[in-house]
Amino acid sequence: MFSSKKWIQKSYYQIALTFFLVIFFVFSIVFSLGSGQAEISLIDVFQILLYKFSGGVLGNIADIEQAVVNIIWFVRTPRVLMSIFVGLGLATSGAIMQAVVQNPLADPYILGISSGASLGATFAIMIGFGSASIFSQLNLSLSAFIGALLATFCVLFLSNIGGRMTSTKLVLSGTIINSIFSSFSSLIIYLADDAEGIKSVTFWSMGSLASASWSKLPLLIVVTLVISVFFASQFRILNTMLLGDEAAVTLGISLGKYRRIYMIIASLLTGLIVANSGMIGFVGLIIPHIVRGIYGSDHKKLVPMCGFIGAFF
Amino acid sequence: MSLDIQNLHVKLGKKEIIHDLSLSMNTNQFVGIIGANGSGKSTLLKTIYKSLTPAKGRIYFDGLDILHTPAKKVSQKLGVVGQFNELSFDFTVFQMVLLGRTPHKKLLESDTKEDFAIVEQALAKMGLTSFKNESFLSLSGGEKQRVILARVLAKQPEFMILDEPTNHLDIRYQLEMMESVKKLGIGVLVALHDLQLAANYCDYLYAMKDGAIVAFGTPENLFTQDLIEDLYGIKCSIYKNPMTDKIAFHYYL
Repeated sequence: MFSSKKWIQKSYYQIALTFFLVIFFVFSIVFSLGSGQAEISLIDVFQILLYKFSGGVLGNIADIEQAVVNIIWFVRTPRVLMSIFVGLGLATSGAIMQAVVQNPLADPYILGISSGASLGATFAIMIGFGSASIFSQLNLSLSAFIGALLATFCVLFLSNIGGRMTSTKLVLSGTIINSIFSSFSSLIIYLADDAEGIKSVTFWSMGSLASASWSKLPLLIVVTLVISVFFASQFRILNTMLLGDEAAVTLGISLGKYRRIYMIIASLLTGLIVANSGMIGFVGLIIPHIVRGIYGSDHKKLVPMCGFIGAFF
Repeated sequence: MSLDIQNLHVKLGKKEIIHDLSLSMNTNQFVGIIGANGSGKSTLLKTIYKSLTPAKGRIYFDGLDILHTPAKKVSQKLGVVGQFNELSFDFTVFQMVLLGRTPHKKLLESDTKEDFAIVEQALAKMGLTSFKNESFLSLSGGEKQRVILARVLAKQPEFMILDEPTNHLDIRYQLEMMESVKKLGIGVLVALHDLQLAANYCDYLYAMKDGAIVAFGTPENLFTQDLIEDLYGIKCSIYKNPMTDKIAFHYYL
């Protein structure tokens, strides 16, 4: 099919690399389960996972301490799973955002999602539900999510003013909304005069997976997977998107509509992730570039591989 | 086949760029559009390939109402080489040309052997086979332009629109570009700045000024000193080049 030798070599190289990455992926999961404040041997980790996933049929945890089992199962496994899907989601929506605004500097937070979510979270922490109950945890996530969506819709509204939505307008209005929302957050923090609250806002905005628990996972996993599969299926349109509006029209695709749809969906995904884990930087920006370096810009490979490599982090 | 444009009005912002333009042309030939910068050539072409929506008017290609047909269907028939070849992301030449197959594909359909064969052919035709795995952004202006032309070929269009395809190209690539387009043997509508190229390659010419067509005809009949002074505001003597026996121009102010 491909006559050029160079091409064939390159795709062998890619396959080999992918294979290596899969192995490394599995290994890193097990390793991160085992390491931490309490060192747990890999064999024990394996036994516990086997036991739990098979519902007690396989594996033998009789001679492992109950505390160890709990650490693995209730603390570390959710965190690892969460980090996998957070990474997957961030990298995917980063790749999408870069295509949508045709700008290599774009990341999932470009549309003001980050500052929107921060504002939501700040609002939640400072005004009202700042206590440590589970109810407030949920509320924190929820209001961060709402803030993110609010910011996204503001950006969409702004960039629609004056006719056609262009990628320049999108980036500009994203920046504007970003500054407006973050200055509101600052205002709330300034007026609040609540040292404990300020601390938790700062902690939240640093991003953390510490809050992971089994109850939060199903929603995150399902949404992330569904959206990632959806984007992976859109590779043709995403590819033409990189060429710009003019060229896309000549290839029979008018981008305006798709741009809006993709942006809303990617924002939903990012909003959900931010709500769960706070702001985790750079994954959404850098992973798509790393993957492009290895596999090229074709979204057919780019989107799945972004998700996969993003899942490492 | 024919391209019919009826009472076309196109506005960019509040300014009317094209005012009540009608033309009807046979699309089995090499047709050129000439005119000064800002005369509306690009706007007219963009309207035909659906990048701009006109305020009023109708465009038919081969009986197909272009303005009311989905972009995908139109783009299966029309190939476009425009002035928009800047990318922020890199593709290999092969991928770039493969994108030309997009309008023939359903959303989830993957590329078949046939598609790859078509792409290989297009690359070979443009002399790009050895560049196949190079990155598009590393190519020179002339090579990029040939890749874009190969992408249009991969689309297998019935008719081609070129918007100043020889811009930024040196003399050799200008000639090569025109030759390869001419050799394709399909109908072409091309906006040109270089009157010499227009005279040498076009079967028929339209001259545009201020968003309207002011003259049309074969190169021999169209080019007069008055017309060129009217279009570009320069003096010009037109003569038959004794070496090539073709029309030649000498410009002065």
